[in-house]
Formats: sequence, structure tokens, C-alpha cells
Amino acid sequence: MLVQFALFIFQLLVILALAPLLSGLIKKLKSFFQIRKGPPLFQSYHDLFKLMRKDSVVSENTSWLFNAAPVVSFASVLAAGLMVPIFTTALPFGFAGDLIAVVYLFALARFSIALAALDTGSSFGGMGASREMFISSLVEPAMILSIFAVAINVGTTNLASISTEVISQGMTALSPSHLLAFVAFFIITIAETGRLPVDNPATHLELTMVHEAMILEYSGKQLAVIELGVMVKQFLVFALLANIFFPWGISSGLDAGIAASIIAFSIKIAVLGLCMAIVESTTAKWRLFRLPDLMSISLMLAFLAVVFTIIMRGG
Amino acid sequence: MGIMFGSELMESIIALIMVSTFMVLGSKQLHTSVSAFQFQSFLLACIAGIVAFSTGRIDIYIVAVLTLIIKAILIPYLFVYVIRELKVKREVELFINISPSLLIGGVLVVISYYLVRSIGNNSQLSSYALSTSMAMVLIGMFFMITRKKAISQMLGILIMENGLFLAAISLTYGMPLLVEVGIFFDILVGTLIMGVLIFRINTTFETIDTDRLTTLME
Repeated sequence: MLVQFALFIFQLLVILALAPLLSGLIKKLKSFFQIRKGPPLFQSYHDLFKLMRKDSVVSENTSWLFNAAPVVSFASVLAAGLMVPIFTTALPFGFAGDLIAVVYLFALARFSIALAALDTGSSFGGMGASREMFISSLVEPAMILSIFAVAINVGTTNLASISTEVISQGMTALSPSHLLAFVAFFIITIAETGRLPVDNPATHLELTMVHEAMILEYSGKQLAVIELGVMVKQFLVFALLANIFFPWGISSGLDAGIAASIIAFSIKIAVLGLCMAIVESTTAKWRLFRLPDLMSISLMLAFLAVVFTIIMRGG
Repeated sequence: MGIMFGSELMESIIALIMVSTFMVLGSKQLHTSVSAFQFQSFLLACIAGIVAFSTGRIDIYIVAVLTLIIKAILIPYLFVYVIRELKVKREVELFINISPSLLIGGVLVVISYYLVRSIGNNSQLSSYALSTSMAMVLIGMFFMITRKKAISQMLGILIMENGLFLAAISLTYGMPLLVEVGIFFDILVGTLIMGVLIFRINTTFETIDTDRLTTLME
């Protein structure tokens, strides 16, 4: 019981500690491709601490929703974090929910932020919220379907069990449908973390922004909570990508293997971050109304992955 | 139909062929469609090569080489030439938008899978290959119906042909060499004639949009 509780705390701490580092790493890699020096690796931490020390300015026209939204989104993202295998498959919260719970906890986080953006009544907030909902309505089916392609193959929707099963299948797990689902989920990751063909994370005042438009009214501590929540969500989506599709190296128990597992996980995340930086450096932002094409490509890849899985099993 | 050499490799390549079909269907630029078709033909040549290697028949080797030369090099070059010479608009023009047509493509895959299953499959690989090739034929036909440009319709019929070729090579280890060579010649000459026809259409009507050809009607 005590061990479980300690693991519970430890996983939260790992997530909170590594999430800003991932953001910093991607920024650093991107500036490497742009032949810039870029912000220091730990700049995200400094930004968060700076915001934490400041007061929030809240518009008079807002209701309680505006104050509740950062907390709700942060809490739901953290709750999702307890169900995602990070460094061990013996999850403290594994019994409480599976991949569907995780996907819809993300959706809850997004929904609460969009609601708060509408609450302020500013035109930027409304624009950002409507765009975010537009994108998420396209992302959600593809995300569910791409994880389902793997889940059907191993016969469970519990994320930790999926990792364990994929490991036990060895190299035969790397079937065409697995790789298709991986590509589909990678496209989803781009959209879900607001990266370049979909949304530009580096801009603050541009008519094309999506996420930044929604949180334009926030400041100080509330902004810090939202920023950290976004980083944690990005970290978790990367963790899903790493540990569902390439779970090798993850520890199955609570023993000394955890240290090695954390190192393996960090390497996987860093490689994925590099891929993301390359994608972001080589693509331009797409027009908003071209996004359905991108998302339907991802949806089709995930769908093909599911169909191939079923055909291969001779079902 | 026994399990042949490298059936796992075959599965992966067939999956990639399916993906390339969707790349043709989902690309907004004519050039991207053509290079996706080129990629697909290259994969088909790989499949023919694997079949040739596992059966050791010399005529299938010839078929593989012919596929590579004609479908993966000559025909795509012809496409690029026609696009360049006619100075057609590079964006594809379509009756049904990209994302709905991708979804319809997915539905066609499911339909072909169920059709093949009702035939009664011999082995896993053959049913897999057969359902993929049937899906390719259906998607090629759909592609021809929904695109406005004559060039795209040419591309659609070539996708259909690729699907038939996939079925032939993976189910029956290919047709007799004479028939196969005849088909290749047919395809090449057919593409040339279609290319010339598109040139004629262009000079006569100053467009290759088949939508405008209705003035031909009495």
C-alpha cells in the first residue's frame, strides 16, 4: 500500500519535472535547425517560476468559469498522467481507467480551456475556442482509432497491459498495421500538442494562432498553471507514442529496473522530440481549412491499420 | 497456394501499396499523385521480384524488370511531360473533396474485404492480396469518376491496372509471359494514346477539364 502510494507520488513528480524539459529540448532542437542559439534548455522552468511569482489580472467581465478552468484542465491532465505508462507498467492508477479515459480526460482539459476562452467575451478567445474545437473534433476519432489498432491486436484497452503485451510479442509486433497506426498517431501528436502544420507554438500575436488565442486573457499564476498543463499534456502524448508503439525498455515491476527504464524512456522521448523538431522545421503552417485533409489522412491510416489487423487475424 | 518465401515482407509491401493508393487519392497536387503512383509501381515491381525469387521462374523476373521500367519510370515520366507541356494547373480539381473521398476510399476497402471473404479464402496472404487489389480497382474507378482533369482519369485507370496486376502476380504467380508482355505493351501504348488525346483535347477546347466537354453532345 505504502509502495503504491510512493509510486503514485513519484510518477507525478517525474511527469512534472520532465515535462518542461521536453518543451525546452524541442525549442533547442528547433533553433539548432534554424542556426540560432535558442533559449537555454531550462528556460521553461525559469518562465514558470517567474509567472508563479506574479499576480493574476482578471477581467471584470468574467465569471467563476475563468478561475476554475486552469485548475480543471491541470487536474484532468494530471489524472490522465497516472494512467499512462511512463517508466513502469505497474501503474498506481491502472485499474481506474484505460485509453478511452485518457483520451477523454485530455478532451475535458481542452473543453474547460475553450469554455474559459469564450467566458472572457474577447474576440480572440472566441476565435481560438472555435478553432480548437474544430481541430479536436477531427483529432479525437483518429486518436481513438490509432490506439485501437494496437489494442485489437493485443486484446486489451488498458494502456499498461498494451505495453506489456507488445513487449511479449517481440519483433513480430512491428507489423504493417502497427507502423501505420504509429504514423497516424504521430500526425495526431502534431495536432494534439499544437505544433507547426496545425498551430504555431512560437507565436503570440498572429491571426493564425489557436491555443495562444484561447489563453490570451490569462496572466500570472493562472497562466503558469495552464502552461504547465499544456507541457504535461504534450509530455503524456509523447509518452503514449513511445510506450504504446515502442514499449521496449520499460520496467514491469517496482524494483531496481526503474532507473534503467527512466533512462530508456528519456532516450525515446528525446528521439521523438528530434523527429518533431525536424517536422516543425521543414513544414510551413497550413491554412486552417486544409487541416481536415491532414486529419483525414491520419484517420485513414488508423482505419487501414485496424482493417489490416482484422484481415491478418483472419477474422 | 502455399506460403511462399518472405510472406511477412510481402504483407508489409502490400500494406505500403495500399497506403500509396491512398496517397494518390489524398494528394492535392498533380505531381504528388504521380510520384505516389510511381512509388506504388516500384512496390509492385518489388512484389514481382519476391515472387520470382521464391518460385525461381525466369519469366517472372522479366515481368518484374518490365514493371520497373515501364510503370515506375516511363509512364510517370510521360505524366510529368504532359503536365509540363500543357501547363495545366498543378492543383487537382475534383467533384468530391479530399477528405470525403478518403473516407469513401476507406469504405471501399471494407467492401472489398467483405467481398473477398465471401468468396472463401485459401490462405491468409492470398485473401489479403486479393482484397487489397480489389480495393485498388474500386478506388481507381472512384478516382476516375470524381476527378475533372483528363490526366487524373488516366491515373485512375493505371491504378486499376496496378490492382489487377497485384492480384495476378500474388495469386497465380503471374500470367504467361506472352500475355504479360502484351499487357505491358497495351498499357504503354494506351497511356501514349491517352496523352496524345489529351493534347488534342487541349488544342481543340483549350482546356482538359472533362466537365466542359459536354458541348460535344448533340
